[in-house]
Amino acid sequence: MEEAADSREQTQDSQTDGSAETAHAAETSAQEELNPICIEIRKLNLYYTKNVHALRDIHLDIPRNKVTAFIGPSGCGKSSLLRCLNRMNDLNDECKIKGKIRIDGEDIYQKRVDVANLRRRVGMVFQKPNPFPKSIYDNVAYGLRIQGISSRRILDEIVENALRLAALWDEVKDRMDANALELSGGQQQRLVIARTIAVQPEILLLDEPASSLDPISTLKIEELINDLREKYTILIVTHNMQQAARVSDYAAFMDMGNMIEFDSTDTLFTNPSVKQTEDYITGRYG
Amino acid sequence: MTDIQVEAGSEISEKDLFDASAGIDLEKLRAQNRLRKFLDTSARRIISLGGIGVIVTLLLLFVFLLSEVVPLFQPATIDYVGEFELIENSAGETLHLAMEEQAEVGFRLTDDGAASFFEVPGGVLISREDLPVAQNTFITSFASAEADSNVLAFGFDSGSVLVFAHEYRIGFIGEDNVRTITPFLTYPLGNEPIDLAQGDAVTKLAVSSENDAIVVAALDGANRLHVLRADRERNLISSFDPDASSDYELRQVSIQEPLNNVQELLIDGDLRRVIVLLNSGQMRVYDIARLFTGNESSADFEFAQPDLDITQVELLLGGMSLLISSADGTVYQYFFTDQSIASPPVLARSFTVTDSPVVALTAEQREKNFIGVDQQGFLRAFNTTANRETFSARVARQAPVAIAAAPRGNALLVETESGQFSFWQIDNPHPDVSWAALWNEVWYEGYAEPDYVWQSSATDNAFEPKYSLVPLTFGTLKAAFYAMLLAAPLAVCGAIYTGYFMAPAMRRKVKPVVELMEALPTVVLGFLAGLWLAPFVENNLLGVFAVLIILPMSILLASLVWYVLPKRIRHTVPDGWEAALLVPVVLFFGWLSFLVAAPLEALFFAGDLRTWLSSDLGITYDQRNAMVVGFAMGFAVIPTVFSIAEDAIFTVPRHLPYGSLALGATPWQSLYYVVLPTASPGIFSALMIGLGRAVGETMIVLMATGNTPIIDINIFEGMRTLAANIAVEIPESEVNSTHYRILFLAALVLFVFTFLINTVAEVVRQRLRGRYSVL
Repeated sequence: MEEAADSREQTQDSQTDGSAETAHAAETSAQEELNPICIEIRKLNLYYTKNVHALRDIHLDIPRNKVTAFIGPSGCGKSSLLRCLNRMNDLNDECKIKGKIRIDGEDIYQKRVDVANLRRRVGMVFQKPNPFPKSIYDNVAYGLRIQGISSRRILDEIVENALRLAALWDEVKDRMDANALELSGGQQQRLVIARTIAVQPEILLLDEPASSLDPISTLKIEELINDLREKYTILIVTHNMQQAARVSDYAAFMDMGNMIEFDSTDTLFTNPSVKQTEDYITGRYG
Repeated sequence: MTDIQVEAGSEISEKDLFDASAGIDLEKLRAQNRLRKFLDTSARRIISLGGIGVIVTLLLLFVFLLSEVVPLFQPATIDYVGEFELIENSAGETLHLAMEEQAEVGFRLTDDGAASFFEVPGGVLISREDLPVAQNTFITSFASAEADSNVLAFGFDSGSVLVFAHEYRIGFIGEDNVRTITPFLTYPLGNEPIDLAQGDAVTKLAVSSENDAIVVAALDGANRLHVLRADRERNLISSFDPDASSDYELRQVSIQEPLNNVQELLIDGDLRRVIVLLNSGQMRVYDIARLFTGNESSADFEFAQPDLDITQVELLLGGMSLLISSADGTVYQYFFTDQSIASPPVLARSFTVTDSPVVALTAEQREKNFIGVDQQGFLRAFNTTANRETFSARVARQAPVAIAAAPRGNALLVETESGQFSFWQIDNPHPDVSWAALWNEVWYEGYAEPDYVWQSSATDNAFEPKYSLVPLTFGTLKAAFYAMLLAAPLAVCGAIYTGYFMAPAMRRKVKPVVELMEALPTVVLGFLAGLWLAPFVENNLLGVFAVLIILPMSILLASLVWYVLPKRIRHTVPDGWEAALLVPVVLFFGWLSFLVAAPLEALFFAGDLRTWLSSDLGITYDQRNAMVVGFAMGFAVIPTVFSIAEDAIFTVPRHLPYGSLALGATPWQSLYYVVLPTASPGIFSALMIGLGRAVGETMIVLMATGNTPIIDINIFEGMRTLAANIAVEIPESEVNSTHYRILFLAALVLFVFTFLINTVAEVVRQRLRGRYSVL
């Protein structure tokens, strides 16, 4: 982990060429009036081991308060990219990252960044619903409690809001003390989303949130994403083309750790500029 | 897209299979299928059989233990055998009634100086002997020593006393080896009466015999007390030949001051005291040894009951306890708690025989039992240790003349009216066991207060067995507690680190090594603990404590140093391997702890912590103590707890801590709030299995403690556990005896104990698992 940090520092040093610097300055000035670009990814390289090069020179600007979908074949690096954004890859000791990721203009791989706080700001929902083996209430209140919020009144309020926002309130309001594991898979996933938005993140990373759910639950998740898009910058990884087309404003196609194409969803699905993208979305991809 | 491919593919393969099947030997295929089915079924059956076998074995074990224990709690029975009349009846009144060992020969002594032996039951006279009573002298008093000595004494109006005993010789005669019992009288002090009261009639008499000494106390008409002590003269021949005629050295002493209102004279079983019971509800005690050295020493005591109306007095087996029956049908048990003559008798217990006066009271010869009969012929038997009634019956229509219990306690002879006897059979194998005697405080003979004591055997027949399971249970829990005190934090913290933080490569090495510790036979651990660790700890006590304090601090210090070290150095150690760096730190500071112990000891504890503990703090220090057991058994328990707890933590799905981390929790928060609760069923059962092991562990506690059954939480004193107690005592206990069965009861308690622990563990585990079950 530390080694990775070191190498990052070096890259950052070497990267201070003119163009990047000017761009950076422009962005910081624009930031005050809410920069439309939320996440900037610059020359991002990720190595799981020396030989496994998972991400190659990713360069991407993710717009604020939009839904950005990442599509691509299995193992193309979509999830890895997502996990770079809240530094979940730090948990893998042998993982090394080079390049730069800025959220609201701030380099998240800087030394003084509080990783726990970053992860609070960049919420993540995993492919498999992972509610904690606690009550529904405790699940949603978990993120707040670990920050030291213990006032029952505040917790009640935030929990209710989060559950309402996650469209789960009506289904669980009478059994807040029930074990979260008693919920159905779709409910669990919405609970996990409620849990994530309860800590008031700015960005939501959804890693194939509906892939283990039935069609009705999937639909509910998609509706939820629609409801949330105005408040959060949402990044969603999905294998489901239709889902990507339905829910996202922007879409990125990745393959073999490379960012092949990034464009508005309409453009990418109807008029892709790269043949590889077209092959993939039309199902001709090997 | 892929689905279509599979469908298309399956069509083709089906066709292929169809074509290919022509080449396959269908017969062989079917045979293989049958074989597979057979293997499947037999595997299932064998596994079920194994499972059922385990349950059945466990049940059988339980049933066996129970079957060994149940007789302890079965009530005693008394059965009427028959009535008979003594043929060639003596005209006199019965003074004494007894039976020999086999309860086949009865002995009756009448006040005309005739002793008759007769068959029981049946009443056929075997022999009759008239005691050598001089002409014109009359028997004025009679006394019997403890029943098991068979020693009796007459006092005459001439002031002389005659000591005699009824004895039995067993012989086998004829070709059929018929067992015959030949009764006869012996006169240990010669068949000439000994002049004790110097011509004055003997009104009260007491006799007692122990090993090679006989003491007789007599009160004359003028109420003066005379004491005779006869000690067998030991010489080389007589000490090797029990049948050699022996001479007694006689000594006499008289107390000139008259004793008024004497109700009864008694001599205790140790020949230490002459006890004079007075009508006025008082008791005077003389020290026999001091009487004969010339410095008379006596003490007066009041009874606890001021208006005690004494009807009968009897000494309990061993001669330590006085059984005093009062007119209201209650029997009081008094004994002395100290050898000093000045120590007062204590009232230990009282037993209600009936509500009418007790007219006959007899103590049994092998157990601390006594039998009381009231005026209506109602009999009730008690055991004093267990403080309970053993059996009761109506043995006569009116007050019986005399009663006699067989030496083995298996028969009872009651003289209902002169010359009429009824014979009863008694089955009372375990009189001294009651639930209260096993688990409550019992006031044992000679003890200053009720206590929990385990002391199952002694050299003396008259010994009162002390079967309190409390010290053993306490010892078991104490050993388990100190073992868990060491093992639980080390094993669980180790498991947390290994399962949650450690690099997988290091974990793969650490875990098997810790688990390998489990393979060490506990006898080796116990051996090391008892013979190496215990003396080592004793000699380096401060060093051991220094290790316990310095080592954790040094680990914290090392972590701090590591934290502030420059990155370049830190990066040379891969993530999750940092723990390996602690090995030299632990070794160095461990060594340092022992190094600094000696000067510290000299500085603060006057050179020796052990002496300081006992002299300044008054803490006893045993070499083989709970701390040594804690170390050794903790060492034995750690692998079990570690292994299970580590598995539980490691198998918590990674997505749970990830979910927590993704919400902005720190790794420790994730561990505490998510991983540990989820792993808690496993950690809990690990601790419980560890506890179960510590409770049942035998060899370590057997070898590393002094096996002293004491109740003391002091870490520097030993203990005796249920398991170790069974191991120590079962080889020396007589099969089916009370002791033997109580050891089985101890085993049953242990069994129930571990069963309970495991059941509680399982129930809690299931509950926790229900709560924290992972997707």
